[in-house]
Amino acid sequence: MSSATRQEVSTGSADSGALMRRIGYYVRETLTNLRRNLLMTIAAMSTVAISLLLLGGVQILGMIVNNVTLSWEAKVEISVYLLDSATQNEIKTLETDISQMDEVEDVTFVSKSQAFEEFKKLYDDQPEFYESLPRDALPASLRIKLTDAAFTEEVASRIEGAPGVDEVKFGGEIIKRLLQVNALLRTITFAMSLILMVAAAALIANTIRLAIYARRDEIGIMKLVGATNWFIRIPFMLEGVFAALLGALVAGGIVLLVNSLIFSRIGEAITFLGPVFSFSAGEMMGVLGMLGLVGAVVGLIGSGMALRRFLEV
Amino acid sequence: MIRTVDVKKEYKGGIKALDGVSIDIEKAEFVFVVGPSGSGKSTFLKLLTKEEEPTGGEVYVAGKNLQSLPRWRVPYLRRNVGCVFQDFKLLPNKTVFENVAFALEVIGRPKVVIQRQVPQILELVGLGEKLDRFPDELSGGEQQRVSIARAFVNRPLILIADEPTGNLDPATSVGIMRLLDRINKTGTTIVMATHDHAIVDSMRRRVIELEGGHVVRDQTRGIYGVGG
Repeated sequence: MSSATRQEVSTGSADSGALMRRIGYYVRETLTNLRRNLLMTIAAMSTVAISLLLLGGVQILGMIVNNVTLSWEAKVEISVYLLDSATQNEIKTLETDISQMDEVEDVTFVSKSQAFEEFKKLYDDQPEFYESLPRDALPASLRIKLTDAAFTEEVASRIEGAPGVDEVKFGGEIIKRLLQVNALLRTITFAMSLILMVAAAALIANTIRLAIYARRDEIGIMKLVGATNWFIRIPFMLEGVFAALLGALVAGGIVLLVNSLIFSRIGEAITFLGPVFSFSAGEMMGVLGMLGLVGAVVGLIGSGMALRRFLEV
Repeated sequence: MIRTVDVKKEYKGGIKALDGVSIDIEKAEFVFVVGPSGSGKSTFLKLLTKEEEPTGGEVYVAGKNLQSLPRWRVPYLRRNVGCVFQDFKLLPNKTVFENVAFALEVIGRPKVVIQRQVPQILELVGLGEKLDRFPDELSGGEQQRVSIARAFVNRPLILIADEPTGNLDPATSVGIMRLLDRINKTGTTIVMATHDHAIVDSMRRRVIELEGGHVVRDQTRGIYGVGG
Protein backbone atom coordinates (compact mmCIF):
# COMPACT_ATOMS: atom_id res chain seq x y z
CA MET A 1 0.00 0.00 0.00
CA SER A 2 1.36 3.36 0.88
CA SER A 3 4.71 1.84 1.79
CA ALA A 4 4.83 -0.01 -1.51
CA THR A 5 4.14 3.14 -3.52
CA ARG A 6 6.89 4.96 -1.65
CA GLN A 7 9.39 2.29 -2.60
CA GLU A 8 8.35 2.22 -6.20
CA VAL A 9 8.95 5.95 -6.39
CA SER A 10 12.42 5.66 -4.89
CA THR A 11 13.63 2.65 -6.89
CA GLY A 12 11.79 3.52 -10.06
CA SER A 13 13.71 6.80 -10.45
CA ALA A 14 17.06 5.01 -10.87
CA ASP A 15 18.23 6.89 -13.96
CA SER A 16 21.75 7.87 -14.99
CA GLY A 17 21.62 10.80 -12.59
CA ALA A 18 21.01 8.42 -9.70
CA LEU A 19 23.90 6.26 -10.86
CA MET A 20 26.30 9.19 -11.03
CA ARG A 21 25.11 10.30 -7.61
CA ARG A 22 25.76 6.84 -6.26
CA ILE A 23 29.26 6.66 -7.74
CA GLY A 24 29.90 10.12 -6.31
CA TYR A 25 28.78 8.86 -2.91
CA TYR A 26 31.03 5.81 -3.08
CA VAL A 27 34.10 7.83 -4.02
CA ARG A 28 33.45 10.52 -1.41
CA GLU A 29 32.68 7.97 1.28
CA THR A 30 35.81 5.97 0.45
CA LEU A 31 38.11 8.98 0.57
CA THR A 32 36.56 10.38 3.74
CA ASN A 33 36.82 7.04 5.49
CA LEU A 34 40.42 6.49 4.39
CA ARG A 35 41.29 9.87 5.88
CA ARG A 36 39.28 9.52 9.08
CA ASN A 37 40.53 6.01 9.71
CA LEU A 38 44.08 6.97 8.84
CA LEU A 39 45.69 4.64 11.34
CA MET A 40 43.84 1.62 9.98
CA THR A 41 44.59 2.70 6.43
CA ILE A 42 48.29 2.87 7.27
CA ALA A 43 48.16 -0.47 9.06
CA ALA A 44 46.46 -2.17 6.09
CA MET A 45 48.79 -0.45 3.67
CA SER A 46 52.00 -1.48 5.45
CA THR A 47 50.73 -5.03 5.90
CA VAL A 48 50.15 -5.24 2.18
CA ALA A 49 53.52 -3.61 1.46
CA ILE A 50 55.45 -6.04 3.65
CA SER A 51 53.60 -9.11 2.40
CA LEU A 52 54.05 -8.09 -1.20
CA LEU A 53 57.67 -7.18 -0.64
CA LEU A 54 58.33 -10.75 0.50
CA LEU A 55 56.44 -12.02 -2.51
CA GLY A 56 58.39 -9.71 -4.80
CA GLY A 57 61.64 -10.86 -3.20
CA VAL A 58 60.84 -14.47 -3.97
CA GLN A 59 59.88 -13.54 -7.50
CA ILE A 60 63.24 -11.84 -7.99
CA LEU A 61 64.96 -14.86 -6.48
CA GLY A 62 63.11 -16.94 -9.05
CA MET A 63 64.33 -14.64 -11.80
CA ILE A 64 67.91 -14.95 -10.55
CA VAL A 65 67.62 -18.75 -10.57
CA ASN A 66 66.25 -18.52 -14.06
CA ASN A 67 69.13 -16.33 -15.22
CA VAL A 68 71.65 -18.72 -13.68
CA THR A 69 69.99 -21.60 -15.48
CA LEU A 70 70.02 -19.76 -18.77
CA SER A 71 73.69 -18.89 -18.48
CA TRP A 72 74.52 -22.51 -17.69
CA GLU A 73 72.40 -23.85 -20.46
CA ALA A 74 73.98 -21.48 -22.96
CA LYS A 75 77.29 -23.21 -22.31
CA VAL A 76 75.98 -26.71 -22.84
CA GLU A 77 77.18 -28.19 -26.11
CA ILE A 78 77.29 -31.59 -27.75
CA SER A 79 80.49 -32.46 -29.56
CA VAL A 80 80.17 -35.09 -32.29
CA TYR A 81 83.67 -36.41 -33.10
CA LEU A 82 83.98 -37.66 -36.63
CA LEU A 83 85.90 -40.66 -37.88
CA ASP A 84 88.99 -39.82 -39.91
CA SER A 85 87.51 -42.09 -42.53
CA ALA A 86 84.26 -40.07 -42.77
CA THR A 87 83.59 -38.84 -46.30
CA GLN A 88 82.68 -35.25 -47.15
CA ASN A 89 79.27 -36.56 -48.14
CA GLU A 90 78.69 -38.28 -44.82
CA ILE A 91 79.67 -35.14 -42.92
CA LYS A 92 77.41 -32.97 -45.07
CA THR A 93 74.43 -35.31 -44.57
CA LEU A 94 75.04 -35.51 -40.85
CA GLU A 95 75.25 -31.74 -40.54
CA THR A 96 71.96 -31.18 -42.40
CA ASP A 97 70.22 -33.95 -40.49
CA ILE A 98 71.27 -32.50 -37.17
CA SER A 99 70.43 -28.93 -38.08
CA GLN A 100 66.93 -30.06 -39.04
CA MET A 101 66.20 -31.42 -35.56
CA ASP A 102 63.71 -29.28 -33.62
CA GLU A 103 65.84 -29.21 -30.50
CA VAL A 104 68.94 -27.97 -32.29
CA GLU A 105 69.66 -24.29 -32.48
CA ASP A 106 72.97 -24.31 -34.28
CA VAL A 107 75.56 -26.73 -35.73
CA THR A 108 79.14 -25.74 -36.47
CA PHE A 109 81.73 -27.83 -38.26
CA VAL A 110 85.17 -27.79 -36.63
CA SER A 111 87.89 -29.10 -38.94
CA LYS A 112 91.03 -30.91 -37.78
CA SER A 113 93.13 -27.77 -38.22
CA GLN A 114 90.59 -25.58 -36.40
CA ALA A 115 90.57 -28.06 -33.53
CA PHE A 116 94.37 -27.93 -33.42
CA GLU A 117 94.33 -24.10 -33.35
CA GLU A 118 91.87 -24.12 -30.45
CA PHE A 119 93.99 -26.63 -28.60
CA LYS A 120 97.04 -24.45 -29.18
CA LYS A 121 95.26 -21.41 -27.81
CA LEU A 122 94.03 -23.35 -24.77
CA TYR A 123 97.54 -24.45 -23.82
CA ASP A 124 99.26 -21.29 -24.95
CA ASP A 125 101.57 -21.26 -21.91
CA GLN A 126 102.52 -24.93 -22.19
CA PRO A 127 103.77 -25.33 -25.80
CA GLU A 128 105.20 -28.77 -25.02
CA PHE A 129 101.63 -30.13 -25.17
CA TYR A 130 100.99 -29.28 -28.80
CA GLU A 131 104.51 -29.03 -30.24
CA SER A 132 104.84 -32.77 -30.21
CA LEU A 133 101.45 -33.29 -31.89
CA PRO A 134 100.95 -33.60 -35.62
CA ARG A 135 98.49 -30.97 -36.94
CA ASP A 136 95.92 -33.64 -37.74
CA ALA A 137 96.08 -35.46 -34.43
CA LEU A 138 92.76 -34.06 -33.25
CA PRO A 139 89.55 -35.31 -34.88
CA ALA A 140 87.20 -33.06 -36.79
CA SER A 141 83.84 -32.53 -35.06
CA LEU A 142 80.39 -31.03 -35.22
CA ARG A 143 79.44 -28.76 -32.33
CA ILE A 144 75.76 -28.62 -31.52
CA LYS A 145 73.99 -25.90 -29.59
CA LEU A 146 70.57 -26.88 -28.30
CA THR A 147 67.46 -24.78 -27.71
CA ASP A 148 67.12 -26.38 -24.32
CA ALA A 149 69.81 -28.24 -22.40
CA ALA A 150 67.21 -30.74 -21.25
CA PHE A 151 67.30 -32.42 -24.66
CA THR A 152 71.06 -33.12 -24.50
CA GLU A 153 70.89 -36.82 -23.82
CA GLU A 154 68.10 -37.47 -26.27
CA VAL A 155 69.79 -35.67 -29.14
CA ALA A 156 73.14 -37.28 -28.33
CA SER A 157 71.67 -40.78 -28.44
CA ARG A 158 70.01 -40.08 -31.77
CA ILE A 159 73.32 -39.07 -33.35
CA GLU A 160 75.32 -41.93 -31.90
CA GLY A 161 76.08 -44.65 -34.43
CA ALA A 162 75.31 -42.52 -37.48
CA PRO A 163 77.69 -43.11 -40.40
CA GLY A 164 80.97 -41.22 -39.96
CA VAL A 165 80.45 -40.63 -36.22
CA ASP A 166 83.18 -41.79 -33.90
CA GLU A 167 82.00 -40.55 -30.55
CA VAL A 168 79.34 -38.21 -29.11
CA LYS A 169 80.38 -36.26 -26.05
CA PHE A 170 78.56 -33.94 -23.72
CA GLY A 171 78.66 -32.88 -20.11
CA GLY A 172 76.68 -35.98 -19.15
CA GLU A 173 76.30 -36.33 -15.40
CA ILE A 174 77.17 -32.71 -14.72
CA ILE A 175 74.45 -31.42 -17.00
CA LYS A 176 71.98 -33.81 -15.47
CA ARG A 177 72.88 -32.55 -11.99
CA LEU A 178 72.65 -28.92 -13.02
CA LEU A 179 69.27 -29.48 -14.59
CA GLN A 180 68.04 -31.28 -11.50
CA VAL A 181 69.26 -28.48 -9.24
CA ASN A 182 67.61 -25.92 -11.47
CA ALA A 183 64.34 -27.78 -11.54
CA LEU A 184 64.45 -28.08 -7.77
CA LEU A 185 65.21 -24.38 -7.31
CA ARG A 186 62.38 -23.46 -9.64
CA THR A 187 59.95 -25.68 -7.76
CA ILE A 188 61.08 -24.19 -4.45
CA THR A 189 60.67 -20.59 -5.58
CA PHE A 190 57.29 -21.41 -7.10
CA ALA A 191 56.14 -23.08 -3.89
CA MET A 192 57.45 -20.18 -1.83
CA SER A 193 55.59 -17.74 -4.07
CA LEU A 194 52.38 -19.67 -3.60
CA ILE A 195 52.79 -19.91 0.16
CA LEU A 196 53.66 -16.23 0.44
CA MET A 197 50.70 -15.29 -1.74
CA VAL A 198 48.34 -17.19 0.53
CA ALA A 199 50.04 -15.75 3.61
CA ALA A 200 49.81 -12.24 2.17
CA ALA A 201 46.13 -12.76 1.39
CA ALA A 202 45.43 -14.01 4.92
CA LEU A 203 47.42 -11.19 6.51
CA ILE A 204 45.75 -8.51 4.43
CA ALA A 205 42.28 -9.97 4.93
CA ASN A 206 42.92 -10.06 8.67
CA THR A 207 44.00 -6.43 8.80
CA ILE A 208 40.94 -5.43 6.84
CA ARG A 209 38.77 -7.49 9.18
CA LEU A 210 40.22 -5.59 12.13
CA ALA A 211 39.56 -2.29 10.39
CA ILE A 212 35.99 -3.34 9.72
CA TYR A 213 35.51 -4.69 13.22
CA ALA A 214 36.43 -1.26 14.54
CA ARG A 215 33.55 0.09 12.49
CA ARG A 216 30.91 -2.60 13.12
CA ASP A 217 28.64 -0.01 14.80
CA GLU A 218 28.67 2.03 11.64
CA ILE A 219 27.67 -1.01 9.61
CA GLY A 220 24.93 -1.85 12.11
CA ILE A 221 23.50 1.65 11.83
CA MET A 222 23.68 1.57 8.05
CA LYS A 223 21.65 -1.62 8.11
CA LEU A 224 19.12 -0.12 10.52
CA VAL A 225 18.43 2.91 8.37
CA GLY A 226 17.81 0.62 5.41
CA ALA A 227 21.06 0.54 3.46
CA THR A 228 21.33 -2.44 1.12
CA ASN A 229 24.27 -4.79 1.62
CA TRP A 230 26.00 -3.75 -1.60
CA PHE A 231 25.63 -0.12 -0.69
CA ILE A 232 27.51 -0.83 2.54
CA ARG A 233 30.00 -3.17 0.95
CA ILE A 234 31.22 -1.09 -1.95
CA PRO A 235 32.94 1.75 -0.02
CA PHE A 236 34.61 -0.80 2.27
CA MET A 237 35.82 -2.83 -0.68
CA LEU A 238 37.07 0.26 -2.49
CA GLU A 239 38.93 1.20 0.69
CA GLY A 240 40.44 -2.27 0.82
CA VAL A 241 41.54 -2.07 -2.80
CA PHE A 242 42.88 1.45 -2.41
CA ALA A 243 44.90 0.62 0.72
CA ALA A 244 46.20 -2.56 -0.93
CA LEU A 245 47.20 -0.70 -4.08
CA LEU A 246 49.04 1.90 -2.01
CA GLY A 247 50.84 -0.97 -0.27
CA ALA A 248 51.65 -2.56 -3.63
CA LEU A 249 53.01 0.78 -4.81
CA VAL A 250 55.32 0.98 -1.80
CA ALA A 251 56.46 -2.63 -2.29
CA GLY A 252 57.00 -2.07 -6.00
CA GLY A 253 58.98 1.09 -5.32
CA ILE A 254 61.29 -0.76 -2.95
CA VAL A 255 61.76 -3.58 -5.46
CA LEU A 256 62.69 -1.09 -8.18
CA LEU A 257 65.02 0.76 -5.84
CA VAL A 258 66.80 -2.44 -4.80
CA ASN A 259 67.11 -3.42 -8.44
CA SER A 260 68.64 -0.16 -9.59
CA LEU A 261 70.79 0.52 -6.52
CA ILE A 262 72.04 -2.95 -5.63
CA PHE A 263 71.54 -5.54 -8.35
CA SER A 264 72.68 -3.46 -11.28
CA ARG A 265 75.77 -2.38 -9.30
CA ILE A 266 76.64 -5.97 -8.44
CA GLY A 267 76.30 -6.73 -12.15
CA GLU A 268 78.65 -3.88 -13.04
CA ALA A 269 81.19 -4.65 -10.33
CA ILE A 270 81.37 -8.42 -10.78
CA THR A 271 81.21 -9.00 -14.51
CA PHE A 272 80.48 -12.72 -14.52
CA LEU A 273 77.47 -12.10 -12.27
CA GLY A 274 76.17 -9.42 -14.63
CA PRO A 275 73.77 -11.60 -16.59
CA VAL A 276 72.54 -13.19 -13.38
CA PHE A 277 71.50 -9.88 -11.81
CA SER A 278 70.18 -8.08 -14.84
CA PHE A 279 66.47 -8.17 -15.51
CA SER A 280 64.71 -6.85 -18.56
CA ALA A 281 62.19 -4.05 -18.21
CA GLY A 282 59.52 -6.57 -19.16
CA GLU A 283 60.50 -8.88 -16.33
CA MET A 284 60.44 -6.01 -13.83
CA MET A 285 57.03 -4.87 -15.10
CA GLY A 286 55.85 -8.46 -14.72
CA VAL A 287 56.87 -8.50 -11.06
CA LEU A 288 55.37 -5.08 -10.35
CA GLY A 289 52.19 -5.93 -12.22
CA MET A 290 51.83 -9.12 -10.25
CA LEU A 291 52.32 -7.27 -6.94
CA GLY A 292 49.66 -4.74 -7.93
CA LEU A 293 47.26 -7.41 -9.09
CA VAL A 294 47.70 -9.59 -6.03
CA GLY A 295 47.30 -6.51 -3.81
CA ALA A 296 44.13 -5.36 -5.51
CA VAL A 297 42.50 -8.77 -5.70
CA VAL A 298 43.39 -9.58 -2.10
CA GLY A 299 42.15 -6.17 -0.95
CA LEU A 300 38.88 -6.67 -2.77
CA ILE A 301 38.24 -10.24 -1.70
CA GLY A 302 39.64 -9.68 1.79
CA SER A 303 37.34 -6.77 2.55
CA GLY A 304 34.37 -8.46 0.90
CA MET A 305 34.85 -11.61 2.97
CA ALA A 306 35.57 -9.72 6.17
CA LEU A 307 32.31 -7.80 5.77
CA ARG A 308 30.11 -10.86 5.48
CA ARG A 309 29.86 -11.48 9.20
CA PHE A 310 28.88 -7.92 10.00
CA LEU A 311 26.15 -7.75 7.40
CA GLU A 312 24.14 -10.52 9.04
CA VAL A 313 21.75 -8.25 10.94
CA MET B 1 -0.02 -0.69 10.56
CA ILE B 2 1.49 -3.32 12.88
CA ARG B 3 -0.08 -6.66 13.64
CA THR B 4 1.37 -9.66 15.42
CA VAL B 5 -0.45 -12.98 15.63
CA ASP B 6 0.50 -15.35 18.42
CA VAL B 7 4.16 -14.44 18.10
CA LYS B 8 6.70 -16.60 19.91
CA LYS B 9 10.40 -16.04 20.25
CA GLU B 10 12.69 -18.51 21.88
CA TYR B 11 16.40 -17.73 21.97
CA LYS B 12 19.07 -20.37 21.78
CA GLY B 13 19.39 -21.94 25.21
CA GLY B 14 15.64 -22.15 25.65
CA ILE B 15 14.96 -18.63 26.95
CA LYS B 16 11.39 -17.69 25.99
CA ALA B 17 11.35 -13.95 25.32
CA LEU B 18 7.89 -13.86 23.79
CA ASP B 19 5.22 -16.49 24.28
CA GLY B 20 2.13 -15.90 22.19
CA VAL B 21 1.88 -12.14 21.71
CA SER B 22 -0.99 -10.82 19.57
CA ILE B 23 -1.11 -7.05 19.14
CA ASP B 24 -2.80 -4.70 16.67
CA ILE B 25 -1.50 -1.17 16.27
CA GLU B 26 -3.33 1.29 14.01
CA LYS B 27 -1.80 3.97 11.86
CA ALA B 28 -0.84 7.15 13.79
CA GLU B 29 -1.17 5.45 17.16
CA PHE B 30 1.26 6.20 20.00
CA VAL B 31 1.90 3.04 21.98
CA PHE B 32 3.98 2.49 25.10
CA VAL B 33 5.33 -1.00 25.67
CA VAL B 34 6.11 -1.39 29.37
CA GLY B 35 7.23 -4.15 31.66
CA PRO B 36 10.18 -5.24 33.77
CA SER B 37 13.58 -6.04 32.28
CA GLY B 38 13.49 -9.34 30.45
CA SER B 39 9.75 -9.12 29.81
CA GLY B 40 10.32 -9.18 26.06
CA LYS B 41 9.97 -5.48 25.18
CA SER B 42 13.16 -5.19 23.17
CA THR B 43 12.61 -8.52 21.46
CA PHE B 44 9.15 -7.36 20.42
CA LEU B 45 10.58 -4.19 18.86
CA LYS B 46 13.34 -6.12 17.09
CA LEU B 47 10.77 -8.33 15.38
CA LEU B 48 9.26 -5.26 13.75
CA THR B 49 12.46 -4.44 11.83
CA LYS B 50 13.28 -8.08 11.19
CA GLU B 51 16.38 -7.74 13.32
CA GLU B 52 15.16 -10.91 14.99
CA GLU B 53 13.01 -13.65 13.49
CA PRO B 54 10.09 -15.06 15.52
CA THR B 55 10.15 -18.78 16.22
CA GLY B 56 6.38 -18.90 15.87
CA GLY B 57 3.42 -16.79 14.80
CA GLU B 58 3.24 -13.97 12.29
CA VAL B 59 4.34 -10.35 12.15
CA TYR B 60 2.83 -7.82 9.74
CA VAL B 61 4.36 -4.38 9.30
CA ALA B 62 2.91 -1.83 6.89
CA GLY B 63 0.79 -4.54 5.29
CA LYS B 64 3.64 -6.99 4.73
CA ASN B 65 4.12 -10.39 6.27
CA LEU B 66 7.72 -10.23 7.48
CA GLN B 67 8.14 -14.01 7.45
CA SER B 68 7.66 -14.15 3.72
CA LEU B 69 9.69 -11.00 3.07
CA PRO B 70 12.87 -11.97 1.22
CA ARG B 71 16.21 -10.91 2.71
CA TRP B 72 16.94 -8.40 0.00
CA ARG B 73 13.66 -6.58 0.72
CA VAL B 74 14.56 -6.05 4.40
CA PRO B 75 16.47 -2.78 3.74
CA TYR B 76 13.35 -1.39 2.03
CA LEU B 77 11.22 -2.37 5.03
CA ARG B 78 13.62 -0.54 7.33
CA ARG B 79 13.31 2.63 5.30
CA ASN B 80 9.71 2.76 6.46
CA VAL B 81 10.57 2.08 10.10
CA GLY B 82 12.72 4.64 11.91
CA CYS B 83 14.59 3.50 15.01
CA VAL B 84 15.68 5.39 18.12
CA PHE B 85 17.74 3.74 20.85
CA GLN B 86 18.67 4.28 24.46
CA ASP B 87 22.33 4.63 23.49
CA PHE B 88 21.61 6.91 20.48
CA LYS B 89 23.79 4.87 18.10
CA LEU B 90 25.28 7.91 16.41
CA LEU B 91 28.45 7.57 14.34
CA PRO B 92 31.17 9.24 16.41
CA ASN B 93 33.31 10.16 13.40
CA LYS B 94 30.53 11.95 11.57
CA THR B 95 29.14 15.40 12.34
CA VAL B 96 25.52 16.01 13.33
CA PHE B 97 24.70 16.97 9.75
CA GLU B 98 26.48 13.93 8.33
CA ASN B 99 24.82 11.56 10.80
CA VAL B 100 21.40 12.65 9.61
CA ALA B 101 22.40 13.01 5.94
CA PHE B 102 23.71 9.45 6.11
CA ALA B 103 20.18 8.05 6.49
CA LEU B 104 19.20 9.80 3.27
CA GLU B 105 22.38 8.97 1.39
CA VAL B 106 22.05 5.26 2.00
CA ILE B 107 18.61 5.25 0.41
CA GLY B 108 19.91 7.16 -2.60
CA ARG B 109 18.33 10.58 -2.10
CA PRO B 110 19.80 13.32 -4.33
CA LYS B 111 22.24 15.78 -2.80
CA VAL B 112 19.91 18.76 -3.25
CA VAL B 113 17.23 16.99 -1.26
CA ILE B 114 19.73 16.16 1.48
CA GLN B 115 21.03 19.73 1.60
CA ARG B 116 17.47 20.99 2.06
CA GLN B 117 15.93 18.36 4.31
CA VAL B 118 18.70 17.80 6.83
CA PRO B 119 18.93 21.40 8.12
CA GLN B 120 15.11 21.48 8.18
CA ILE B 121 14.77 18.40 10.36
CA LEU B 122 17.63 19.51 12.62
CA GLU B 123 15.88 22.87 13.01
CA LEU B 124 12.74 20.94 13.95
CA VAL B 125 14.51 19.01 16.72
CA GLY B 126 16.14 22.23 17.96
CA LEU B 127 19.70 21.66 16.73
CA GLY B 128 19.73 24.09 13.82
CA GLU B 129 22.86 25.74 15.21
CA LYS B 130 24.90 22.59 15.78
CA LEU B 131 25.16 21.02 12.34
CA ASP B 132 28.94 20.80 12.37
CA ARG B 133 29.41 19.44 15.88
CA PHE B 134 30.50 15.88 16.50
CA PRO B 135 28.32 13.67 18.75
CA ASP B 136 30.79 13.73 21.66
CA GLU B 137 30.51 17.53 21.76
CA LEU B 138 26.78 17.30 22.51
CA SER B 139 24.78 16.59 25.68
CA GLY B 140 22.83 13.32 25.97
CA GLY B 141 19.55 15.04 25.18
CA GLU B 142 21.04 16.69 22.12
CA GLN B 143 22.46 13.40 20.90
CA GLN B 144 19.04 11.79 21.26
CA ARG B 145 17.55 14.63 19.22
CA VAL B 146 20.06 13.93 16.46
CA SER B 147 19.14 10.27 16.53
CA ILE B 148 15.43 11.14 16.33
CA ALA B 149 16.16 13.49 13.43
CA ARG B 150 17.99 10.65 11.69
CA ALA B 151 15.11 8.23 12.28
CA PHE B 152 12.50 10.69 11.07
CA VAL B 153 14.26 12.51 8.23
CA ASN B 154 12.92 10.26 5.49
CA ARG B 155 9.42 10.37 6.97
CA PRO B 156 8.99 6.71 7.93
CA LEU B 157 5.50 5.31 8.51
CA ILE B 158 6.57 3.95 11.88
CA LEU B 159 9.01 5.17 14.52
CA ILE B 160 10.31 2.62 17.00
CA ALA B 161 11.93 3.90 20.17
CA ASP B 162 13.64 1.52 22.60
CA GLU B 163 13.98 3.34 25.93
CA PRO B 164 14.82 6.65 24.25
CA THR B 165 14.87 8.46 27.61
CA GLY B 166 16.69 5.70 29.48
CA ASN B 167 19.95 7.66 29.66
CA LEU B 168 18.46 11.11 30.13
CA ASP B 169 17.47 13.20 33.14
CA PRO B 170 13.73 13.92 33.67
CA ALA B 171 13.78 17.49 32.32
CA THR B 172 15.58 16.44 29.15
CA SER B 173 13.25 13.46 28.81
CA VAL B 174 10.23 15.77 28.75
CA GLY B 175 11.75 17.60 25.80
CA ILE B 176 12.32 14.34 23.94
CA MET B 177 8.75 13.23 24.59
CA ARG B 178 7.39 16.53 23.26
CA LEU B 179 9.39 15.92 20.11
CA LEU B 180 8.04 12.38 19.72
CA ASP B 181 4.55 13.70 20.33
CA ARG B 182 4.96 16.24 17.53
CA ILE B 183 6.22 13.53 15.20
CA ASN B 184 3.23 11.37 16.13
CA LYS B 185 0.89 14.25 15.23
CA THR B 186 2.25 14.17 11.65
CA GLY B 187 0.62 10.74 11.35
CA THR B 188 3.65 8.62 12.19
CA THR B 189 2.92 5.53 14.24
CA ILE B 190 5.13 5.43 17.35
CA VAL B 191 5.96 2.34 19.39
CA MET B 192 8.06 3.12 22.43
CA ALA B 193 9.43 0.73 25.03
CA THR B 194 10.10 2.40 28.36
CA HIS B 195 10.67 2.02 32.09
CA ASP B 196 9.83 5.62 32.79
CA HIS B 197 6.65 5.82 34.96
CA ALA B 198 6.42 9.61 34.92
CA ILE B 199 6.44 9.81 31.17
CA VAL B 200 3.85 7.11 30.60
CA ASP B 201 1.59 8.55 33.29
CA SER B 202 1.76 12.10 31.92
CA MET B 203 1.18 11.17 28.25
CA ARG B 204 -1.93 9.01 28.84
CA ARG B 205 -1.55 6.95 25.68
CA ARG B 206 -2.14 3.31 24.88
CA VAL B 207 -0.07 1.07 27.16
CA ILE B 208 0.80 -2.54 26.43
CA GLU B 209 2.35 -4.32 29.38
CA LEU B 210 4.47 -7.42 28.86
CA GLU B 211 5.52 -9.85 31.52
CA GLY B 212 7.34 -13.12 30.99
CA GLY B 213 6.67 -12.89 27.28
CA HIS B 214 2.89 -12.45 27.63
CA VAL B 215 0.69 -9.39 27.18
CA VAL B 216 -0.74 -8.85 30.65
CA ARG B 217 -2.44 -5.51 29.97
CA ASP B 218 -3.52 -3.46 26.94
CA GLN B 219 -5.10 -0.14 27.94
CA THR B 220 -6.18 2.63 25.59
CA ARG B 221 -5.33 5.62 27.77
CA GLY B 222 -3.17 3.91 30.30
CA ILE B 223 -0.62 4.64 32.98
CA TYR B 224 2.56 2.73 33.84
CA GLY B 225 1.28 0.55 36.65
CA VAL B 226 -2.28 -0.51 37.34
CA GLY B 227 -3.67 1.91 39.92
CA GLY B 228 -0.18 3.40 40.28
